[in-house]
Amino acid sequence: MLEALLAIPLVGAVLLWRAGGRVATTLHALTAGLTLVTAIAVGVEVNRGDALVALGGFLRADALSAWMISLIGIVGALAASEAPRYLAHTTPARFYPLFHLFVFTMLLAVSTDDVGLMWVAVEGTTLASVFLVNFERTRASLEASYKYLLICSVGIAIAFLGTVLVYFAGIQQFGDEAHALRWTTLMRLAPGLAPRVIELAFVFLVVGYGTKAGLAPMHTWLPDAHSEAPAPVSALMSGVLLSVGVYAILRFKPAVDVAAGPGFARSILLALGLLSLAVAAAFLWTSPNYKRMLAYSSVEHIGLVCLGLGFGGALGTAGALLHIANHALAKSVVFLLAGRIRAAYGSAEIAAVGGLMRRMPRTGAPFLAAMLALVGLPPFGLFVSEVMIFAAGFTQGFPGVAGVALVLLVFAFAGLLRGAHAILYGTPPREPAAEVPGWRPVLPVAAALLLLLLTGLAWPPGLTDALDRVVAIVVP
Amino acid sequence: MTTASNLLAFLGLVVTLLIVWRQSWPARLRLFVAQSLLLAALAGTIGVLAHRRGLLLVAAVFVVVKGWVIPRVLARIGSGEPVRPVAPGRSSGLVLLGTGGLVVAAYVIMLPVTSAVELPTEGAIPLAFAMALIGLLLCVTGRDALGHILGFLVFENGIFGLAILATYGLPGIVEAGVFLDVLVIVLIMEAVVVEVRREHDSIDVDRLRELRG
Repeated sequence: MLEALLAIPLVGAVLLWRAGGRVATTLHALTAGLTLVTAIAVGVEVNRGDALVALGGFLRADALSAWMISLIGIVGALAASEAPRYLAHTTPARFYPLFHLFVFTMLLAVSTDDVGLMWVAVEGTTLASVFLVNFERTRASLEASYKYLLICSVGIAIAFLGTVLVYFAGIQQFGDEAHALRWTTLMRLAPGLAPRVIELAFVFLVVGYGTKAGLAPMHTWLPDAHSEAPAPVSALMSGVLLSVGVYAILRFKPAVDVAAGPGFARSILLALGLLSLAVAAAFLWTSPNYKRMLAYSSVEHIGLVCLGLGFGGALGTAGALLHIANHALAKSVVFLLAGRIRAAYGSAEIAAVGGLMRRMPRTGAPFLAAMLALVGLPPFGLFVSEVMIFAAGFTQGFPGVAGVALVLLVFAFAGLLRGAHAILYGTPPREPAAEVPGWRPVLPVAAALLLLLLTGLAWPPGLTDALDRVVAIVVP
Repeated sequence: MTTASNLLAFLGLVVTLLIVWRQSWPARLRLFVAQSLLLAALAGTIGVLAHRRGLLLVAAVFVVVKGWVIPRVLARIGSGEPVRPVAPGRSSGLVLLGTGGLVVAAYVIMLPVTSAVELPTEGAIPLAFAMALIGLLLCVTGRDALGHILGFLVFENGIFGLAILATYGLPGIVEAGVFLDVLVIVLIMEAVVVEVRREHDSIDVDRLRELRG
């Protein structure tokens, strides 16, 4: 099943390379749909039994992978549903194939057992998406893609250094252990690994993959790339690409906790989490551009995820992982709607937009709902996961960190709401184009919001179990 | 093996320092080729002395990719750029001084690695790491796209050297993935730089300042 999961988007991308017109749109929908179904099937299968293994152990999906795979499938489908609407106004050159290639690299990164191959795949996500960021070929998007490519390539090279050191520690301790780069092997060897080397490796890994995850101070590429990329791509990047970076860090964390003691990874994650929150809280107030504002909100939420992982324990870890999922849903919805807003108003400046509720109610209402979810208000899922994270902070003995984070969160909350208010109400300087008629565009957005209500109010059967399984992997 | 690896890594570091020192692009490109060839020689030497066949293949691929294909692409990127006059008032002295600090830092940072084991190649590990750090410095301080790419590649070379010295070669699939990645990055960079040049008539990154805040 894992082979199919990876083959579908890859084959789709290859076929779409030459396809055009109607055929391309149909093939795109088919690929996205099949990817979604397979991803969900993998999620269900893994949570029913054991980890799925394929290609001689090269591919392996445990509960943590399955969590990410399902998420990539869902957000991928959500973003894919918007792509034809976005492309209606432009020439679709290479958009579809690169889109599915991007999804493929993310799926590969989370479903391989080999941390070396994971590194290759994470680097692949940059390479697949850099042309998507520059899809509109404006000066600004060009600059964004240049920064994105350069900063993320350097970052990921630093992560490679970390991976090399982990491998070094492994073979030093146990001779030429075959598959010393396999995660399963790494976990087995962890108690004997040289702690100082592993600490050094983890620093490189956090800096490297943290760049990809958009953690401050390595986040500088993120607001540019997220704001310049086409809406469906922004949704994918903000929704799942950042979490793939977190996932990579998460894969190493249990081994580091065993080899070097739990305090080391924790202090790094808490520091970076707080810093990300602080940077985001400041920039949420000053961004004149609503897509940039949403990008900074992603920095904020990734910071929260890091805090949850840093606080640790079952509660903090579960809260962080649930927050990854909640944020993925809410942020991808908001980015898709922001794309529609930009198409209608012809600008991404907050000052150029206003009165969305009245002028475009079928965009405005879900935008309001998703924004409320994003700032962490009930009844949406982000409220629940944030409560879990902060509860973990206070119960695990970090009231100071949790307290500071809460204050920063309030700042971020106010900044984001201020921006949302300016967009939703008031009078725009220029009237927007007419809203797309009919309810079909609302459906995928509504579905995602419904999922957010479920994680906020009534957990569907199996969610608790799935989270427990993931936590058992991260905090053994 | 100790003598050989120390000598080659030391020469690599000297070449890296020369890259920092020189200002003219063709000269820096030639020095980059020299650095790549030295590292390939390092991989080949360790491959022979430690009886790792795989490393010989890696060295061969390294010569082709880093010593021939990538420099050709770089030359193509650089061909449109007029040779920049050595700007007065910006000598490389200060940067060179900084690199001295980086070499010391490399020794300190790599202490956990070098003290963890008894490897014949351990003396050269900080030298390779210093190469990587200097590459990072070049990348950060580079004033145009060429400077950035060159810095990144020097950084990458340093990490490659470190990987060879510390592990005697990574698993083949990872090694292959790394080569492919670097190649694709450089090719994409070329495409992006071509666009930048068309838009701005220059690859001076000071002109890239649309996105702020």
